[in-house]
Amino acid sequence: MYQYTGFDRQFVRARAAQFRDQLERNLAGELSDDEFRPLRLQNGWYIQRHAPMLRVAIPYGELASRQLRQLARMARELDRGFLHFTTRQNAQFNWIPLEKSADAMDLLADVDMHGIQTSGNCIRNITSDVMAGIAPDEIIDPRPYCEILRQWSTLQPEFAFLPRKFKIAVSGAVEDRAAIAWHDIGLQLVKNEAGEIGFKVLVGGGMGRTPVIGTVATEFLPWNQILVYIEAVVRVYNRFGRRDNAYKARIKILVKAEGQRFFDQVDAEFAKILGGDVGGGAHIVPQAEFDRVAACFTRPDKIHPAIGGFDPHRTGAAPVAFLRWLDRNVHAHQVAGYRAVTLSLKRPGLPPGDVTAEQMEAAATMSDRYSLGELRVSHDQNLLLPWVREADLRAVWHAAQEAGFATPNIGLLTDMIACPGGDLCALANARSLPIAAAITEQFDDLDALLDLGDIDLHISGCMNSCGHHHTGHIGILGIDKDGAEWYQVSVGGSDGSTLSGAAVPAKVIGPSFAAEEVPGVVQALIETYRAQRAANERFVDTARRIGIAPFRQATDLVRRETAVAA
Amino acid sequence: MKFIDRHSADATDTWLLQPDSEIAGPAPRRLLTLVQWQAVRTAWPTTVPVGVLLPNTADVEALADDLPRIALIALEFPKWVDGRAYSQAHVLRARLHFAGEIRATGEVLVDMMPLLQRTGFDAVVLREGERQASAERALGFFPEYYQGDVLQPLPRFARQAA
Repeated sequence: MYQYTGFDRQFVRARAAQFRDQLERNLAGELSDDEFRPLRLQNGWYIQRHAPMLRVAIPYGELASRQLRQLARMARELDRGFLHFTTRQNAQFNWIPLEKSADAMDLLADVDMHGIQTSGNCIRNITSDVMAGIAPDEIIDPRPYCEILRQWSTLQPEFAFLPRKFKIAVSGAVEDRAAIAWHDIGLQLVKNEAGEIGFKVLVGGGMGRTPVIGTVATEFLPWNQILVYIEAVVRVYNRFGRRDNAYKARIKILVKAEGQRFFDQVDAEFAKILGGDVGGGAHIVPQAEFDRVAACFTRPDKIHPAIGGFDPHRTGAAPVAFLRWLDRNVHAHQVAGYRAVTLSLKRPGLPPGDVTAEQMEAAATMSDRYSLGELRVSHDQNLLLPWVREADLRAVWHAAQEAGFATPNIGLLTDMIACPGGDLCALANARSLPIAAAITEQFDDLDALLDLGDIDLHISGCMNSCGHHHTGHIGILGIDKDGAEWYQVSVGGSDGSTLSGAAVPAKVIGPSFAAEEVPGVVQALIETYRAQRAANERFVDTARRIGIAPFRQATDLVRRETAVAA
Repeated sequence: MKFIDRHSADATDTWLLQPDSEIAGPAPRRLLTLVQWQAVRTAWPTTVPVGVLLPNTADVEALADDLPRIALIALEFPKWVDGRAYSQAHVLRARLHFAGEIRATGEVLVDMMPLLQRTGFDAVVLREGERQASAERALGFFPEYYQGDVLQPLPRFARQAA
């Protein structure tokens, strides 16, 4: 993990002090609520339906056990005992009163954490591969590059008030586990024929009202020019991005509207920065700086490859439940003798991605005992232990069972992504959580779930798409019609993973449904798949092969309230 | 950072916008809109410094040839959350080496101060009601930053190496 320097610590402290000053001016009436809003947003503070929400940055999803313990303490002392992990690898509290917000920032700073740029129309927290540094298919570890980008983008003064939010994702493996094509900038680390490291750069992807897949801006940008290239992209966006309509303000709209002209502008801007701008060339990253940052991400000394393989039946026939867990929640590793273990945050009784303070402490303890004190937050809202010895898997399974993390459903229908929705979020048009809960309850038979195989079910409570409904094999979107909650259902989307195919938005199957109809709709989609699937065919492949008509037909039969509308 | 107070009795700043009818001839300390400037620029003597007010949609690079004659560029924040003028200021300083005054006008709030200073503004007209003491305090929270800016063009890693 990245180790904070004295400078990093002082910087986060300074940010907390600055925020406290802003809060105090707001509470004293000197700084109006309207003007405080963009400032608090850039520190992660929203005002939500019931209370403020604090979004804590977890840079590229890397989290230390001591940090998780501090979040548990904050959940207990300032919140109502819960934390929610998001699709951008961040974490959210939902019940901390605004008056305590500056204290919360101090508590975060105590463990090298903050909420910098987790919201607002600025460059947001950088996301990456949950398996960075441990994936067997890794070409280049993306984390040092993520950290260099994090530092550069942190309080970058020119780009703090862009037309709209700006998200960057980085992947360094063969498999794209970061959905890079869906980001404002997607970066894929590559090696050219000479063996040099660079980035394939995608620009202009995004979800929201108009889902767009990023366009390749360059196939190979030398890695050390990345800060300059991003400066060029963001400057062109800052200058020309639309500001008249929030729904048309993301860079994807500019890229679509301008086409090649946009990329010509970026190239011209890039050339000017390097051609003589004061400080332009100084942002080419020197090898020494890369080495300094990369030293934080070398394989820990305590990791010793083991030979001999892993036999779950070594001490007698292993329980079926353990084998299932191994199959679904345990992943291959770069280092022989090690595995990565997903702690499933998808189980009955708690919203997807939620943990209690007790569970946070349990996960921190598991991490200390079995994973060198390190954890990861995945963009599908689970936790992951990155350094588990195969010899410890049985013990980890027991500990995961005890803490409620052992549901062997990773990649299955119930491993769904869902935003907090209308229960908590002031932006939402409809609730996500009752839908998620109903589906979890309905598909509680593990054998049946396993038989259905890999299905990405993604639920968003509004067009902002925090629940990534566009990328779901099944996508559910909450919409508001005349004050009532309705749900638009789509199929066949992809985040860009090998399993799901090239990144593509899901297709809407028909008019929206009433909340009560949604579980039946999902059931009908599944029945249609069951009836039509070829041998070993996954849901998403069947959906693409047969198109939306059969799904529409089957789900129309479920309509009751919406029967007339259909 | 220079704070320009238009409301105090001892206001000394005399750069003011002129109606079209008043700018027939060149005179010192005239602040012209971009349109006005374009109408008179060929006739404007090089010896009379001028101020130009740019909308935040203007391409500052198109003004490159005129910069030696310009003493003051006023940039606009029609809304404080519209950040286009930060890029204009950055390009004026880092690319065009403009050495005159860059002034922030429009909806200029206390909490914009660090951003203004770092992108090359050296004068502000705070929106009415904003407190100068708070604005000065807002400049003091961070002794240093990660990335380079107009005041300190080297990023921290380059400063460390030097």
